[in-house]
Amino acid sequence: MRDTYLVGAGQSDYGAFPEESYRSLFRTAYEATVESAGGVDADDVDEAYVGTLGVGGRQLGLSGPAVTEHVGLRGVPCTRVENACAASGYAIRQAVMAVRSGMADLVLAGGFEVMTDSSSEATKYWLGVSGETAWERMSGTTFAGVYAQMADAYMREYGVERESLSRVAVKNHANGAKNPQAQLGFTCTVEDAESAPAVSDPLTLYHCCPTSDGAAAVLVASEDAARSFDERIRVAGVGAASDRVGLFQRDTYTGVPASTDAADAAYGAAGVGPADLDFAEVHDCFAIAELLAYEDLGFAERGDGARLVDEGVTDLDGALPVNTSGGLKSKGHPIGATGAGQAVEAWKQLTGDAGERQLDDPKRGLTHNVGGSGGAAVVHVFEREDAPEPRGAGAGRGEVGR
Amino acid sequence: MSDGSPTDGSGAPRVGIAGAAASVPRARIGADAVREAWGRFQASGVQSKAVAGADEDSLTMAAEAARRALDAAGVDAERVSCLTFGTSTPPLEEEDPTPRLGAFLGVPSGASRRYLSGSTRAGTSALAAALDRANGVGNERVPDTLPALVVAADRPRGEPSSPEDHAAGAGAAALVLTADGPATVGDRAEYAVDYPGTRFREAGSERVEGLGVSAYDRRAFVETVRGAVSNLGTDLAHADALALQAPDGKLPYRAAAALGADADLVSEVTPVHDLGDLGAASPLFALVRALDAGRERVVVVGYGSGAGADAFEVVVDPDGGAPPTDRAGDSGEDVSYAEYLRLRGEITDGPPAGGGAAVSVPSWRRSREARYRLVAGACPDCSALAFPPEGACPDCGSLAEFEPVELPKQGVVEAVTTVSPGGAPPEFVPQAERGGAFGVAIVAFEREADGEGGAGSASVPLQATDCDPAELDAGDEVEAVVRRIYTQEGVTRYGRKVRPVE
Repeated sequence: MRDTYLVGAGQSDYGAFPEESYRSLFRTAYEATVESAGGVDADDVDEAYVGTLGVGGRQLGLSGPAVTEHVGLRGVPCTRVENACAASGYAIRQAVMAVRSGMADLVLAGGFEVMTDSSSEATKYWLGVSGETAWERMSGTTFAGVYAQMADAYMREYGVERESLSRVAVKNHANGAKNPQAQLGFTCTVEDAESAPAVSDPLTLYHCCPTSDGAAAVLVASEDAARSFDERIRVAGVGAASDRVGLFQRDTYTGVPASTDAADAAYGAAGVGPADLDFAEVHDCFAIAELLAYEDLGFAERGDGARLVDEGVTDLDGALPVNTSGGLKSKGHPIGATGAGQAVEAWKQLTGDAGERQLDDPKRGLTHNVGGSGGAAVVHVFEREDAPEPRGAGAGRGEVGR
Repeated sequence: MSDGSPTDGSGAPRVGIAGAAASVPRARIGADAVREAWGRFQASGVQSKAVAGADEDSLTMAAEAARRALDAAGVDAERVSCLTFGTSTPPLEEEDPTPRLGAFLGVPSGASRRYLSGSTRAGTSALAAALDRANGVGNERVPDTLPALVVAADRPRGEPSSPEDHAAGAGAAALVLTADGPATVGDRAEYAVDYPGTRFREAGSERVEGLGVSAYDRRAFVETVRGAVSNLGTDLAHADALALQAPDGKLPYRAAAALGADADLVSEVTPVHDLGDLGAASPLFALVRALDAGRERVVVVGYGSGAGADAFEVVVDPDGGAPPTDRAGDSGEDVSYAEYLRLRGEITDGPPAGGGAAVSVPSWRRSREARYRLVAGACPDCSALAFPPEGACPDCGSLAEFEPVELPKQGVVEAVTTVSPGGAPPEFVPQAERGGAFGVAIVAFEREADGEGGAGSASVPLQATDCDPAELDAGDEVEAVVRRIYTQEGVTRYGRKVRPVE
């Protein structure tokens, strides 16, 4: 099987941009990606995968070619990937598969979303389209409601206080404040989060990510193609899994089984475990999702996830920094762009380009992207070529910060 | 008798009430609250009245009363061969609601149905229709006309400042009729006389009005009621309850006085003082109270403006004992006048922009048994339960056809959240504006092992109703009731919601 590499990654700012269109945002991300790669000839791109949910309905059909043609990737086969919030995480996985199959040597994978140009009612309509529509949505929930049910079940089962959810927000805002591309680049306190208006009990406004406009992209190359680039980050492992779309249809409400399955596959492929990671970008669409991710990804044992944030283990200066970019909470969550945006942060950390939030010479990181409340999940492990020999698949499971 | 049915001695086949039930919405508003809002209260004799919730209508109230009556009678809905329903406030001006009401309950498609509307007399007309059907012609019982389920539900409304609205309550009553039910429905009579203008509702309007000529209105009511009771050929002196239509707290007493009956016969059973004008459900509701109180000779009179009246005599068989009854909703939760207006949609907007979720009417219908009656599926290969009953088995992945299994209607909350009106999906915003924040739970329904299958559990996401959502917690016992889910393109989708077990 051919090795694959990231040879470039870039994103637009995330935020609310009435002056931008989905095409102009994607162009910004594409240009940033090309620049980070030290320049790319459009003719060298063999294939493209673009993730978008299509919020607003502006270009539901052919939304992939609509952006790749716009940036001058003339004639390049482009496929739209739709897996809700995991759309562009899956687009990267598609790119890896295309390279590994031998059909392509250089593939663009990215995503975009424009979410802030609709009325609040229309936005809420779109925020509920990736739940299980016929039953879950018809019980009166959007995503906040479903994640709130997970929070309710989790807090009750493990005796976790809401304050731990608030600490996730505090940490991610602290990181996002160091990221010039973050949408909500301000710091907040536990008190701010606790006293914010309720969205869906027990979640307050500060426990929920914003709606965002933005785009992000990466270039995935074969080993041969990667040689001509200055920087290359190895895609050490990829894992993905699906599950029932509705929370009520799953065996557990206090974990995301698709995340666990995707992580196991990625760890296995990369031969690494949590102990081998220097950082992680996890899918924190709601604060509870980050605590569940700690456990689903094996950073902590079941019910022990809150410890990591309570004890600062996942802070920027902790044993395993999580969401150095600010995460979905602070950096923003333009649905189709999010997974690629996580890979952009991994690229920046591993190439030493993360500015004020730069970690001390990280060698290996993980990204974790979830669609809906867990109907799809995809995990990537990225590493520098000088990364130390890993301790093995699953090493250090449940022991981060111990 | 060709089918060996019992008779009432006159040769007509005997029909008896085997079970009876009432249901009332949870919210109440006191006369004082209305008086405070308007400076006066124009429905004397009404101390408080019931107010339908934001997700209730005559059909959902009917469903609850009907289910309770069937339970009380111990009659399975599958056995019902005649369903009659009366209401003056149907959800739609045109469309027969009885197929949907039957589907909520599991009444077979082959059962005959009669739908009565356009008058507060519709409740007793529904009883008459069931008796007509049971008795057929020539004193021969028409085969397979019993058990019959008679349901009346109403939620009248008028201009908020009007006497009609000050009296307007909400509630439902249902009777199950069988050949051997212990309370015989004996003599009946009718009376009609032309009295225009006492109470009417113009086409396209949701609000009843009247000219307010009190002496004339009183005369119309008293004359018509007296006419029906006189034609009954029963001596009112033997009656121990008078289940009389009560549009307000005065008219039934005027009629009782004119009939020479003691006011207590009315006051001890009428719902008007505590629940208001129940429209078409009013006389049957009073009958349920009378049976519940152990009364043995009840004269039931339904009245509708126009004017016409039906009168019935119900006699409890001294050897058979009273039919079982179920009176739901005797206690309520007080609301302010502003909340009252909100609940009724008087001061809230229509559906918001933004669009609703794409669940088409045909796809809703396709899932109706799961939505209306919580029909899950048992995997024929591993017996696991699937909800909704479609797709691969959640446990073994088999694509074999599920066996339909109706889940019990009581379950346990597994996880719950409170959705604020600002956080509701657009299609739920109108309801949230009327009813406020609502809970949404995942509820586990346990199926006990029986001869037909093993034990199992299925989880269903359901909205909570009739409760303060903040008080609903995981582990709580809840019961699933039929409510309005949402309305799109003019078509209301009904389904189950849960409320705390009383």
